[in-house]
Amino acid sequence: MSVLKQPLTLDDIVARLDDLPSLPAVVMELLDSIDQEDVDISVLAKKVSYDQALTAKTLRLANSSQYGLQVKATTIQQAITYLGFQTTRSLITSAAITGCFPEGRCPGFDDKQFWRHSVATAACAKVLARQIRFNQDYAFTAGLLHNVGRLVLVSSFPEQYAQAIAWQAQHDCTLLEAERTVLGVDHVQAGVALAEHWNFSDTMRLAIGNYPHPETPGAGFLASLIHVANAIVCALDLAQRGDDMVPRVSLVAWQALGLSEETYLQLFRETELRYDEITAALLS
Amino acid sequence: MAVTHQTLPLQQVRPGMILSDVLLDAHGQVLLPQGAVLTENMLSLMPRHGIDMLPIQAPDLTPEEKAAQQDVHRVRLAHLFRKYDPDNPDDAATSILHSYVNSYRLGKGEPA
Repeated sequence: MSVLKQPLTLDDIVARLDDLPSLPAVVMELLDSIDQEDVDISVLAKKVSYDQALTAKTLRLANSSQYGLQVKATTIQQAITYLGFQTTRSLITSAAITGCFPEGRCPGFDDKQFWRHSVATAACAKVLARQIRFNQDYAFTAGLLHNVGRLVLVSSFPEQYAQAIAWQAQHDCTLLEAERTVLGVDHVQAGVALAEHWNFSDTMRLAIGNYPHPETPGAGFLASLIHVANAIVCALDLAQRGDDMVPRVSLVAWQALGLSEETYLQLFRETELRYDEITAALLS
Repeated sequence: MAVTHQTLPLQQVRPGMILSDVLLDAHGQVLLPQGAVLTENMLSLMPRHGIDMLPIQAPDLTPEEKAAQQDVHRVRLAHLFRKYDPDNPDDAATSILHSYVNSYRLGKGEPA
């Protein structure tokens, strides 16, 4: 396996972003509406309900035990009433994004495994966020999306990405090292490019861009949270990837969370439970 | 000792089964303690709390099966943490995570 004769650049990635499958228009609208105050929620709810697959998936997620609804939500409007607009929006985006990338295009890239890792990180990030009273919706969405750059690379440059995967297997290094060596760009850069293209909020973009190095000045707290969630998910072996490896945990991020051993042991357990459930809602 | 557990959908849970873990609702409030023996009445209340999966204690393993399972966990953990160096000060936080996950998988007081 060799490195690419002509490494990719960030410009190559950006140039191909338009060819990626797009999110349903209403999801783009939801993402755009993050900072708007005068959103007409009922109109948005109606638009989402036209997409039956999206609605079904969103409701499955909303009715999973992590949201603890005593009455099941049967419409998007109901979900908004019970869970609030913020939470429902994060559920709709999660449901849309997990269905939007085509699968099986890159040899060696296991889509199912990829999503198992992402869902597990989302579940863990949400539990962590609750422990430290951080916004749980942000944590969940950022956990789900922290590696989305991999999908960008896999979709836009499947042959090249297959070489990066082979390189990683051969050298038993981290994925970031393999990507940088073989491709010249990595999934973090690609993720940030997509976050900008899809108008993600600054908080989300910072977390995607900084989670491998949360000690970077200005990285933001969410990056630390996702960094630790990612490491926990690897350590708990939730994605069941044979050659998975726990990355080095940043002391800065670990201390920023400041949780006790007892809390962690409880959190491991809860993450495993939630993971089973969210996998059933999102990936089936 | 680490508890062996299985997560079962509510429909498959029968009265008399034992919770392998504390049961929390969405807000992290304790609904039932670990080791609770489930009754029909408790199960009928689960939907109200939005619970549709339960952690259930797996049937008791023989000491040999238990030991074998511990070995599998031990080998797997060593593999997952293969790049971690306990003597490297940069790995201080990794080291803490390593010890927590070890206690979680293998039970407290077990050698890593």
